Amino acid sequence: MLGELLNPYHLQIVSFVLINIILGISIYITLSSGQLSLGNAGFMGIGAYTSALLTINFEVPIILGIILGALVAGIFGILIGIPALRLSGVYLAIATLGFGEVMRVIFVNWESVTQGAIGLSGVPHLGREVFKTLTAIGFDPEILGLKNNQFIYLIVVSILLLINIFIVWFFVRQNKSRVGRAFAAIKMDEKAAESMGIDITYYKVLSFTQGALLAGFAGALYAHVMAYISPADFAYHRAIEILIFSVFGGSEVIWGAIFGAAFMTIMPEALRFISEYRYMIYGAILILMMAFRPQGIIDVSLLQWFKKIIKFRKGTDHGTGIKKRH
Amino acid sequence: MRKIIKNSYLLISVFMLLILAACGNDTTTTDGNDSEAEKTDGPVSAKIGVISYLTGPGAAYGEAITNGFNLALEEINEKGEVKIELDIQDSAGKQEQALSVAQKLMSSDDIVAILGPTLSTEMNVVGPEADMNGIPIMGTSTTAAGIPQIGEYVFRNSLPESLAIPAALEKAVEKFDAKSVAILYGNDDLFTKSGFDTMKAVAEDMGLDIVTIETFQKGQSDYNALLTKIKDLNPDLILASALYNEGAVIMDQARKMGIEVPFIGGNGFNSPQVIEIAGPASEGLIVATPWFGDKEDPKVQEFVGKYEAKYGKKPDQFAAQAYDALYIMAEGLKNAGEADRDALRDALAEIKDLDGVLGKFSFDEEGDVVMDPTVLVIKDGKFQLFE
Repeated sequence: MLGELLNPYHLQIVSFVLINIILGISIYITLSSGQLSLGNAGFMGIGAYTSALLTINFEVPIILGIILGALVAGIFGILIGIPALRLSGVYLAIATLGFGEVMRVIFVNWESVTQGAIGLSGVPHLGREVFKTLTAIGFDPEILGLKNNQFIYLIVVSILLLINIFIVWFFVRQNKSRVGRAFAAIKMDEKAAESMGIDITYYKVLSFTQGALLAGFAGALYAHVMAYISPADFAYHRAIEILIFSVFGGSEVIWGAIFGAAFMTIMPEALRFISEYRYMIYGAILILMMAFRPQGIIDVSLLQWFKKIIKFRKGTDHGTGIKKRH
Repeated sequence: MRKIIKNSYLLISVFMLLILAACGNDTTTTDGNDSEAEKTDGPVSAKIGVISYLTGPGAAYGEAITNGFNLALEEINEKGEVKIELDIQDSAGKQEQALSVAQKLMSSDDIVAILGPTLSTEMNVVGPEADMNGIPIMGTSTTAAGIPQIGEYVFRNSLPESLAIPAALEKAVEKFDAKSVAILYGNDDLFTKSGFDTMKAVAEDMGLDIVTIETFQKGQSDYNALLTKIKDLNPDLILASALYNEGAVIMDQARKMGIEVPFIGGNGFNSPQVIEIAGPASEGLIVATPWFGDKEDPKVQEFVGKYEAKYGKKPDQFAAQAYDALYIMAEGLKNAGEADRDALRDALAEIKDLDGVLGKFSFDEEGDVVMDPTVLVIKDGKFQLFE
């Protein structure tokens, strides 16, 4: 039963959706404090290379590799964030884009470690490693009626799903906290926020670092899901793609980034039946979006509208008092 | 707020269920096809998946490759020894998409083999997965080192740089009695970097004096600095691992500077575009290639004629390699006698001296190419045999 329902193709796409959601959130976090950073592809690369090199050369467990990858990216985020945040707006965007390119050139030229443009192959695969340990202790996916590759991708998707739920929960909470309100205040008006006693440097570096940490985390996961990385994966195309996730979905709320990442990943696959023309539609959707809904698909008023509908329905339930009579 | 979170999770889970439900239908339909296919007697009929680079900056490669496949497909089905159906899918040159679509092809039971993907970077991702799932996969344009070594289900019929470069270099060294060489390469591309590794190893093996190694990047337009340095060192030959767009510009600037020594290029340098871009400056470029369209072989001329009639342009090496690849698959299916993945793999591994438009073709024990490349030189504005 389960075996028939799970197609590795769909599981694969869902795993890319989940990784892209983390990337979308990483840029949403920096945008939420009013900063436009295009360096997330670079941070993603740092996370990916750190984790891949550690697991290949030093046989570090994957989980530790991924965490270290994220931390190293986060540390770079602090180092880059402090000087870069003297800039704002497009100047920050250009500086961070430059940082991303510098990272790519380092990956290309540091051949003794990164193998240059050839890329790193043989990165341990997240699903296959877990599968190996599980079979070693005597677990057989046949019990669930699954083929090996179905089971491997099921593992990957479930791990990513758990991580995603945790990250979304964390950032939804943070948005309601003092930190989130400080971010929002800085985004609205930096001077006003400062005059109200918000330490803007601290909060700006914090949001920049959180973005870098998340991007590095996503990069490390990417390396272990693809099992192969090369510097070309972390070029500026990637930075723009990540930005599109958030801008398309709506950069005001976290759900926008999530929706954007999911939509932009699934659409090219869903449009496969029109083969060569699918990227035309991709482009057309982007143009129409920016023309008619520049704030992105999901914004605060749309969320409130949803909320109202839900409340309205519940309200009528209570109002008629049917439940009491029964 | 909590309600929103709850609802969103509900949405996400409903959405995932939908996806999972959709694939349930998929598998049942493919099951149906499978049993039908088994029932029919007569020639082996099989479905082969193709992953190609059809949209994006490298779409020209994918177009040539799929043209080659389609031409071969018509001929093979006309002959009727085997019946092949192709399922052509686009990867847009991205590893993620190549992997997703490979999963799509692999999970449908009636696909017995995969041809492609186009780029070596994509093959590095797709290869291990195909090998694990036990489906034969053959690259028609993946020339980087280490591709067939991924696993025993991974093959290629594209001439690797490790065969092409030594052939060109040996002939050139013999003819010009060269002692010293300068190497330049693009260091930010898998293809050119891999070509450089081979060039360096071959030059060292042959005891040539490497006077300098210079690098450039994709899209660079000014090469005067590195060419000046090379001019001062005065090597007998210049080895350039470059794609044709950069390579042609390099040759143009070198000739203008007065560097007259021959250039030796890898597979990526081998394109009629070089002559178009660099004009007379391209004279003296030596490349080794499996494909020579002016060869006086009736088979080659027939292919060129048919291709030109159908698509309105001359086939390049990618089209020729794809054309031959489908013939190799057809031969494998014929010998296997059934549309089965494992039987096909074993039959493919045993293919020897198959005549194609590229010449006689065999696989070695790793699934790599065994064949003699042709060495060409640009002379009087066109590629000619180099002797």
